[in-house]
Amino acid sequence: MQIVYHLIVFYLTCHFIWYLFREKKFWNKVSVALVLIMFLLRLFLIK
Amino acid sequence: MVAIFVLLAMLLKLPIGISLAFSALAGSLLGGEGIGLRHLVEGSFGYFDTILIIVTAMIFMNVLQASGILDTITSILLRTFYKKKFALLLSVMALIMFPGMITGSSTAAVLTTGALVAPVLMKMGLPKVKTGALIAMGGILGMIAPPVNILVMIMGGGVDMPYVGLTLPLLIIVIPLAIVISLWLGYRDIKIIEYEKMKAILPPSYSKKYGFRLYLPLIVVLVLMLGQSVLPRIMPDIGIPAIFLLGSLIGLGCGRPFNFFKTTQKAMQQSIPISCILVGVGMFIQIMTLTGARGWIVISFLSLPSLLLYLGIATSMPLFGAVSAFGSASILGVPFILALIDKNAIITSSALSAVAGLGDLMPPTALAGIFAAQVVGEANYFKVLRHCLMPALFQLVMGVAVLHFAPFIDKLI
Amino acid sequence: MRNIKGNFISALLLLFAIAICFLSTLKFLSMQKKEAIFPSRGLTSRKMLSSYFPGLKKTWGDTDVYLYEGQEKGGNLLILGGAHANEPAGFITAVLLIENIQVSTGKIIIVPRANNSGFTHSQPQEGNPQRYSLESPWGRRHFRHGSRLTNPVHQWPDPSIYINPAGQKLSGADSRNLNRCYPGRKTGSLTEKIASGIMELIKKEKIDLALDLHEAAPEYPVINAIVFHENSADLAALTLMELQIEGFDFRLEASPTNLRGLSHREWGDHAQIMAILLESANASHGRLKGKTSPALIVEGKDKNYMKAAKLGLLFVPYGEDGIPLKLRVARHLAAVKSILSNLEELYPEKRIEIKNMPSSSELKKVGIGPFLNPPN
Ligand SMILES: [Zn+2]
Repeated sequence: MQIVYHLIVFYLTCHFIWYLFREKKFWNKVSVALVLIMFLLRLFLIK
Repeated sequence: MVAIFVLLAMLLKLPIGISLAFSALAGSLLGGEGIGLRHLVEGSFGYFDTILIIVTAMIFMNVLQASGILDTITSILLRTFYKKKFALLLSVMALIMFPGMITGSSTAAVLTTGALVAPVLMKMGLPKVKTGALIAMGGILGMIAPPVNILVMIMGGGVDMPYVGLTLPLLIIVIPLAIVISLWLGYRDIKIIEYEKMKAILPPSYSKKYGFRLYLPLIVVLVLMLGQSVLPRIMPDIGIPAIFLLGSLIGLGCGRPFNFFKTTQKAMQQSIPISCILVGVGMFIQIMTLTGARGWIVISFLSLPSLLLYLGIATSMPLFGAVSAFGSASILGVPFILALIDKNAIITSSALSAVAGLGDLMPPTALAGIFAAQVVGEANYFKVLRHCLMPALFQLVMGVAVLHFAPFIDKLI
Repeated sequence: MRNIKGNFISALLLLFAIAICFLSTLKFLSMQKKEAIFPSRGLTSRKMLSSYFPGLKKTWGDTDVYLYEGQEKGGNLLILGGAHANEPAGFITAVLLIENIQVSTGKIIIVPRANNSGFTHSQPQEGNPQRYSLESPWGRRHFRHGSRLTNPVHQWPDPSIYINPAGQKLSGADSRNLNRCYPGRKTGSLTEKIASGIMELIKKEKIDLALDLHEAAPEYPVINAIVFHENSADLAALTLMELQIEGFDFRLEASPTNLRGLSHREWGDHAQIMAILLESANASHGRLKGKTSPALIVEGKDKNYMKAAKLGLLFVPYGEDGIPLKLRVARHLAAVKSILSNLEELYPEKRIEIKNMPSSSELKKVGIGPFLNPPN
């Protein structure tokens, strides 16, 4: 199951990064970056 | 910290999540903890699982929409109920609530089924601000209704209460409210219409084209969700995020074709504000705990005499919802459950979730109000909120009443 | 042009996110480094839990096991600290025993970090420090303050509803709570494997009596308690009397038969050994706590809890002096000592004799530091 969730987080992280570049408004970009921090840390199994 | 939050969110109009993150940072600096980066990041992880649920749920709802499943269901409901005002209102209410019920997020409900029924309701004579109010209230009731009530999950996590056995108490609260509120808002204005007129506003149905398999994603998700609470030993427990994504992938081959990548991006767009708010709330709570502010709030409310305690619950929890209903549940809900420890925690937390859920109507966040206004095309969301006032009062009274009669209800169920 | 500028900002924000990840990673990963423990000369051997249950090899669940074997045969005792890594009294009591005792009769096995994974992270939104330190004659010694649960990075995801090996339905997060996972599942989750490892140790070392050392919030009803399995009822009752004479305020709690998966229940039921859990009151656990800091953990002083005590919300007396770590450890040590003397009274053939047992009255006076060993 851990592999499945790892893949889910990987898929969503890619989308977050893609969305970060697609979003126009600055503060919305910042919002994405904040959420992205968590996904990156879990993706690399740190926290 | 609260002052800095108000300044950032209201005067500078920064997004709520970012305002919360900045005020947490400021709180850490003022509390003599330095930047406290580890604390800030760690705090947000309190909601990691919740955010995973919200994002995957949003993907699933967008798949339902894109593949034509929602259109089909709305069309079936309208065909069945266009002549029956009473039944129409109730089924529309149930439809709005549904995404909230399975995701625990009022936003998911308002932005999906809420958006679908809005034109129908307005064409049948309901003014747009009242339509907005109905959708907002439906979203909030959906958030509280079982099977997924994140507010209760958050509170339960704080008092070692498993998320088990909540279906009945939550239904006792939600069903009467759903009936009363939908009739209160809609019964006077909705007009029964002709068959021909109804046909003109009907969304397209795909049930003929795709047959039974159209409903497959919905059925799979429901079976897996119900399964893990009803037959936990037999059904595999793959977790809610995996269930939603599985349902979404099945949806790819079951109805109208759509681009899965674009659908995920749309889900991202809808879920980012709420995810960011949760990140901010997590940071905020961590710093409040670190500096002792959380303990101070808790002990202050626990010192209230029992009569004032209800008043404290009824006012502080919706007010705190300005931060977010989730924050209100965590910061105030948990200590209130401890203060009412002589009552059944399952019933107490259900009732408190009804009170805390109203936080989604509290400006400036007012998630349910803002999205509902957006859905009906009303620029000033306060006009929508005005019509939510009485329904919200019903809900508040209901919540406090259940709290008060908890021992009686406990015996009943 | 606008697009290029937008992309540039996005790239900057991405870098910003990565930078924050990097900086916090340093902090988070620092928790993986074990604090050193310097055993006394009485130590006869040191093993890993995986030598009893190989399924734990090369996992974060594998943990140190310290064995103290006497010349003469007697009873066999297991002492478990750190089943919950945010309960320092249990862990420090185990450390003090490891660094001091010599066993002449019988055998004592000590596992200071029962849930080793729990020591590698902190619980979100509790605002806890990562470490606290104790002054010793040889300088400050730092100890990690972990989490009640297994690290989610080592066991992920939580099920929606957790059904533990003993059949109890619990919230998903409890799947990472070692003290809900007994008697364990050999092919289950990491936490269930740790529980299996401890069950194997109990069987292979022919343990007669096992003690599980814990702490809880002062507003939690089962506090300052000796929780006993029914097959150690006599032992617990005698111990309670002796401790009360010594001036320690304890209460007896019978292990509930319908609360499954806990050490005191499943050790007794599945390994037929005498099982006792000890609980002391730690203010840094509660929702009422004031400023959270290493001092709160070590000194245990908190204004909010004083106020709560006056309001009658607590299950322990809580005065101006708070409940410091040295007192909490002294309570655990006094209980261990009393349990051993009563064990001998009830079952002379299970006698266990210890030399250099840290004295709880001395500890209350001079603190923990003087009982710690110099680094070697
Ligand atoms: Zn414990």
